[in-house]
This record gives sequence, C-alpha cells and structure tokens, in this order.
Amino acid sequence: MLAAYFSRALSLCLGLLLASSALHLRAQTLELSQAQAWVTVLGQTTQQAVSLPYHWDQRQNGRPGEASFEIPFVLPVLPSASYGLYIPRLGNAYEVWLNGVLLQHNGDMQQGNGADYAKSPRYVEIQPGSLHRSNLLRIRIRADIGRRGGLAPMTLGPAEEVHAVYLKNYRWRSTGSFAITITGLVVGLMALALWASQVDTLAPDKPRRDPLYLHAGLAQLFGLLVVVDVILDNPPLSWLWWGIVLRMAVAIWMASTLLFCMEIAGWSRRPAVSWLRCWLGLLAAGSVVAGLVASLFGHTWVLTLWYSALAVTVLATLPALIWKATHGGSGSQKLVTAVLLLNGLLGLRDLIVVRISSVYAENTLLRYGSLLFALTLGYVVTARFRAALLHARDFTANLARQVASKEDELAQTYQRFELLAREQERTAERTRILRDMHDGVGSHISTAIRQLEAGRSSSAQVVQTLRDSLDQLKLSVDAMNLPEGDIGALLASMRYRLEPRFAALDVRLIWEVEELAPVPRLDGAAMRQMQLLLFEALSNVLQHARAHSLRIRAQPMGSPSAGVRLQIIDDGVGFDVDTTSKKGLRSMTDRAVAIGAILRCSSQPGRTVIEISVS
Amino acid sequence: MREIFSASVARCPELTLAASLGTVAEARAWLDDDDNAIDALLTDLGLPDGSGLEVIRYAIHLHPRCEAIVISWFGDESNVLASIEAGALGYLHKDSAPDDIARSILDMRDGASPISPMIARKVLAKYASTVMRKPQPSVLAPTLLSAREQEVLALIARGFSYAEIAALQAVTVHTIQSHIKNLYAKLCVHSKSEAVFEATRLGLIAPFVWAALPIDAAPGERSLRAND
Repeated sequence: MLAAYFSRALSLCLGLLLASSALHLRAQTLELSQAQAWVTVLGQTTQQAVSLPYHWDQRQNGRPGEASFEIPFVLPVLPSASYGLYIPRLGNAYEVWLNGVLLQHNGDMQQGNGADYAKSPRYVEIQPGSLHRSNLLRIRIRADIGRRGGLAPMTLGPAEEVHAVYLKNYRWRSTGSFAITITGLVVGLMALALWASQVDTLAPDKPRRDPLYLHAGLAQLFGLLVVVDVILDNPPLSWLWWGIVLRMAVAIWMASTLLFCMEIAGWSRRPAVSWLRCWLGLLAAGSVVAGLVASLFGHTWVLTLWYSALAVTVLATLPALIWKATHGGSGSQKLVTAVLLLNGLLGLRDLIVVRISSVYAENTLLRYGSLLFALTLGYVVTARFRAALLHARDFTANLARQVASKEDELAQTYQRFELLAREQERTAERTRILRDMHDGVGSHISTAIRQLEAGRSSSAQVVQTLRDSLDQLKLSVDAMNLPEGDIGALLASMRYRLEPRFAALDVRLIWEVEELAPVPRLDGAAMRQMQLLLFEALSNVLQHARAHSLRIRAQPMGSPSAGVRLQIIDDGVGFDVDTTSKKGLRSMTDRAVAIGAILRCSSQPGRTVIEISVS
Repeated sequence: MREIFSASVARCPELTLAASLGTVAEARAWLDDDDNAIDALLTDLGLPDGSGLEVIRYAIHLHPRCEAIVISWFGDESNVLASIEAGALGYLHKDSAPDDIARSILDMRDGASPISPMIARKVLAKYASTVMRKPQPSVLAPTLLSAREQEVLALIARGFSYAEIAALQAVTVHTIQSHIKNLYAKLCVHSKSEAVFEATRLGLIAPFVWAALPIDAAPGERSLRAND
C-alpha cells in the first residue's frame, strides 16, 4: 500500500502517468482475481486457492516451476459483441485457455531460462460464441528464478473498454521504452563522439579527453540496454547470463551516472572519488556474483541486497552533491544534482515496488531517468560550449587589444628610431658642411687674408684666391643638390661653374660626356669627394699645365651599370708622375681611395691623362 | 652691392634706372604709384621683409610684360626654379662683373636666358617624368615640354653648352636660346595654373636689394610700356 501511495506521489511529481489500478470501468467488466492454483515446484504439485497477483519470486523464493490457475466466472447476460481479456502481466511462458479452448500462448512451457514473455501486458480477444453464462478460464504459466514471473489480476469485459486499458499500459511499457531507446542511443553516441573528438591538446603531460563525456555516453548506452530489455521478449542469451549482463549494465549505468555527477561537481581528482570508483567497480563485479547466487542457488534476496547497495550508494552521494549545488554551485551542478535526486527517488520507488513489495504488475520508472540525464547532458554541453565561445571571444578581444598595444609600441619605437636616424643624418650633414667650409671657403679666405696682410701678393692673386673660394662655395651648394651616384650631373655642374675660368685662360674645352647610368653606391659624401677630386684635377690643369685644350671624357665601363670611366686629358707641359709628390696628387689619391675609385695618371709633355674609374 | 648694380645700369646708355629700393614694402608702394612703370625688374630673393618672389609676382600682375631677373649668389636649383615659376626671365650671379649686369639684362631681353645643368635636370625630373609616369597623355605634359625642348634640356643637363647643342642639332644658338625662353614662359604659366606659389627665402645670404629698371623708351620695340 505504501508503495502504491509512493508511486502515485511520484507520478504527480513527474507529471508522468502511471499504470495504476484506479481505472473506472463500467459494471459489465469483471475483475478476475480469485483462482484455484496447482503449483508444481521440483516435481511436487500443490493445490491451493490464491488471490491474485501471484508473484512467483516472492511465493517460491528462488525456485523455478510452473502453475495452472483456474478462474471460474459467471456472466449475467450473454454478450452479443466481442469481449476482451486484459492481463497486465503473466509468464515467463504462458497459455490462456477458455472453456477448454487455447486462445493464446507464448514461450516454451517445458524448457526454462529462454525467452521471457512476462515483460509486456497481454490482451486476449474473445469471440461472443466462446462465452457461456458459466465459464472457466484456465491459465498456465512457467516461471524462472528472479525473472518476475507470475500472474496479475485480470480484467474481462467488452472489447473496446478493455482494449483501451490494455493499450494505455502497453504504450507505457513498450512504446515509451522504444522512444527512450532511440533518444538514449542518439545522446549516448553523441556523448561518445564528443569524448573522442574533444581532445585537450594543451594538457601538460599528454593529450587528455574529457571523462565527463565518456561517463555520460556510457551511462546513456548502458541505461539503454536496460530499457531495451523491456521490449525484448527474446534475449540473445539464456536468462542466467542475460540476467547477469543486465545487472552489469545497471551497475555500469549507475556508476557512470555517479561519476558524471562527480565530474560536474569538479571532484574527479579527489581521493574520496577514487574510493567511490573502487566501490562502484566492486558493485559491478558483485552483480555477477549476486546473479549467479540467485540463479544457481535460488537466493533471490542476494539480488535484492545488491540492488539495495546500489541504491544506498547513489543516495549516499546525494547530500554532498546537494551541499555543493546549494553552496555556490553552477547551473549545471544544480540541475545535475536535482536530476540525480529525482533518479534516486525513482530508483528507491522501483526497488520497493519491484523487489520488496508484493505489487506485481507495476513498471519500473528508473529507465525514464536516463531520459532526464540525456536532457541534462544537453544542457551541460550547451553551457560548456557557450562558456567556451565566450572565452574564445574574450580571448580574441584580449588578443586584439594586445596586438593593438604592441602595434602602438612598435609605432612609437619606429618613430623614435626615425627621429634618431633623422638626427643622425642631420649631424652627418652638419659635419660635412662644416668640414667643407673649413677645407674650402674657410681656407681660401684665410689664404686671402694672409696674402693681403703680407702685402706681397698682387691684387690679381688675392682676387684669384677669393674666386676659388666662391667656386668652392658654389660646388658645395651643388654637392648638396646632386642626385646620389649621378656622375653626369656632377660633371655638368662642374663645367657650368668652372666654364668662366677656362674661358679666362683661353683653354678650349672638349666635352665628350656620354649618357651615364647612376652609380648607386656613391652616397652624398662620396659624391662630394668625387667633386673635390675632379676640382683638384681641373685646378691643376688650370694652374700648372699651360694647356690649350682640355678634353673631358666620360663613358660607361662595359655595360651601362658596370660603372663609369672619367678621363681628363690636357695638352699642357706635363709632369713626372713618379717623382712628383705634389700635395694635390696625394690628396687626389686619398680621395679616390676613400670612395673606392681607381686613379691612374700618365703624363708626358703634350699629353697628360688623369683617369678615374668608379664601379 | 645695390649701388654697384645701380651704377652699372645707370652707366648703360640703353637702360634707365627707374628706382633702387630695399624692401618688399617699398617696392609695392613704388609699384602702386601709377606714375611708375617698368620694363625690367632686378631683385634678390631674400629681402628684409619678405621674398623677392612676391615683388616679381606683384610687378608682373601690374605690368604683365615686365621682365623680371633674379639675382642669386649660387644659382641653386630650388630658388631658381621657384623664381622661374614665379615669372622670372632669368637669373644673374652676384659675382658677375659689374659691367656684365647691364649687358646681361639686355641679353636676356634678347632671349639669352641662362639655364644651368642642375636646373635643366630639375625641370626634366619635374615635368618630363610626369609624361613617363602617366601612360595616358595628360593635358599638361605634352604641351608643356615639346620633344625638342626635352632633348635640349637633356643635353644641357649633361653639361653641353648652347653652342655645342646647336652644333649637335644643326641649328643656330639663337634657336636654342628661344627654346629656353619659351620654356621659361611655359614654366611660369604652368606654375600659375597650378597655383603653386612658394615663397622661398634664401637663408644663406644677407638680405639685399631689388632694383626696378625701365628700359630706355627710345629704340623701337624696347619701348614697350614705359608710360602706360
């Protein structure tokens, strides 16, 4: 009675409908629950009057056997339409006889431990002609150990009414199980796929898969096996082994579910959970022992004990999980704890109803629990992916910020470098200009001052010195504007500047300057050196050579980009190249060496050649 | 220096010294007087209160046929090019012999505008390169420098004298000079069309003089607009 109340309370809680006995059938229907039974156990037959349900496991306590129930009933009026007989549960194998006619039979009445037909409710159609005023219903069953064999109270009445009741129960037990099977299969495989694919490659020691998904997947698939059994009349193994497989499945299902909860709670690395794992392994192994003991020696209480141990284990973890969930637990933790609590209650109810109480035809509810876990898993996965997505988004934003700040830094550094480089350039330029002023204009002006002070120089000489100084200054200005490496421009500007002096000395200038490609390696400073080198060469001609003509020749060396050959050829008096250590010649050589040019001199009266090659 | 140049002009029988002034403001004031008109203008770039370029532009604005000549120490390219673009007809070196000043003014009127290789190079780089950069013939580039002008400029840039170029191209020196004078005019017009007026002060030398010189009105074509 307690169990019935319990199940009703639960059904309200869950919003699930239970196949309860509170069905309102009309007066024509008969409730058949009193029978005369001939029970044969171990070859011994006893006759007794029984009140249904006849729960074989509870009455025979671990012994297989068979029974024949005779249920006489009287109809007040002979029915004109079809009648139906609804039997919520009977088996494991059975025959249904009415008035000596076999109406329905399932299973092997001689050989036990084979197919189990006690899992589904049964409906027997009765034609109007088969019924009399006074009838005898005879039901034979054969029962295995611990397989919930027996006979439940039956309902007889007009076909449409009774069939409706049958259908309702049938849907709950079979169709519902089928739906759960499909869901469990999909969710379980998905969880295993997640487990296989979500590899944490960043883990320190080796790539690590998330055990959360493994536990969830195993729980779903093994829970599924338990549920599948309900719609499987013909198991692939004999009952002895199939029972063991089923209990093992229950054990793994429970263990995986518990470990899933531990993962959610974040306790997977705690020593207590290691102990729990050991204990769950022991329980799984125990299922085999309990199954064997129950089947071989008929001690079904061992099975009850085993189921109780499982239930107690689950319930024992609940307080810790509830504490965790209510003390700052995440949404997932709360949900999982609630579902586990619900499942614990369902399991407790199943245990009491199926194993302990004398209620026979009730269905187990725990199998629906795996459906709840499937939904929970969905929530957990969604929450996780959402968190991962948020994290990734955060990470990306953070990265973008860091990149931006690095870019900023880089830009600032670059700016500093640029400033530095510019400063350096300016310094170099200033140095060059200062040296130019010192060597060129400065020295000429100081010479002019000395010449004037000494009073020995003619004014023409002083003017010459000052003109030199001005020419130097103009060449300095040109040097600043010369394109780097452009020897042609250098020559042209030099001619332009010095032309009046050639004209003054009546030296004929022969200009043989070809188109010249720039020499890239000559930078500003090198161009200035080149200019001074040429200036000195030309000054020498103007001052010492007493030449009539001056030929300036410039050609590319070989290919246009190979370099430039310059020749300054005059028809003056010449000089001795070997013995003349003129200051000018030495400084010209120095300048040539400084810019990596080759200077060659050859001189004889009437032809002096200064050749400068730069490549 | 101003006195030397003034004296040189004054000595020349073909020229009349109209005025010799020291600042941009004085020059503007003088030019604003309707009684004063000039045919030629000689100016330094670095004046105490501004750039000689302002004076050139102002004078040419009032007297469009006035010919401006810039006096420069160095004839350095950026200043000279800016002057040409402002409308100057040529430039003189400050170290020219005093007697040459008057001669140079007359020569330039006759078309003997000088152009240094550096400036030729700069003009080529600035105006000829636009042709190469734009595959489509632009409105400006083909009309700005003719093929012949480009050739002449390229030879000047390589250091050849007008006489050598004339010989190379089998034309007279006068033809070459007219090319250059045309070029000056084009650069000035072009710079006006671009409205690129960049006042450049010459930082290296002390500010100095500008002189306004109407050419003697008597001989025919030179009496352009002495008393307009």
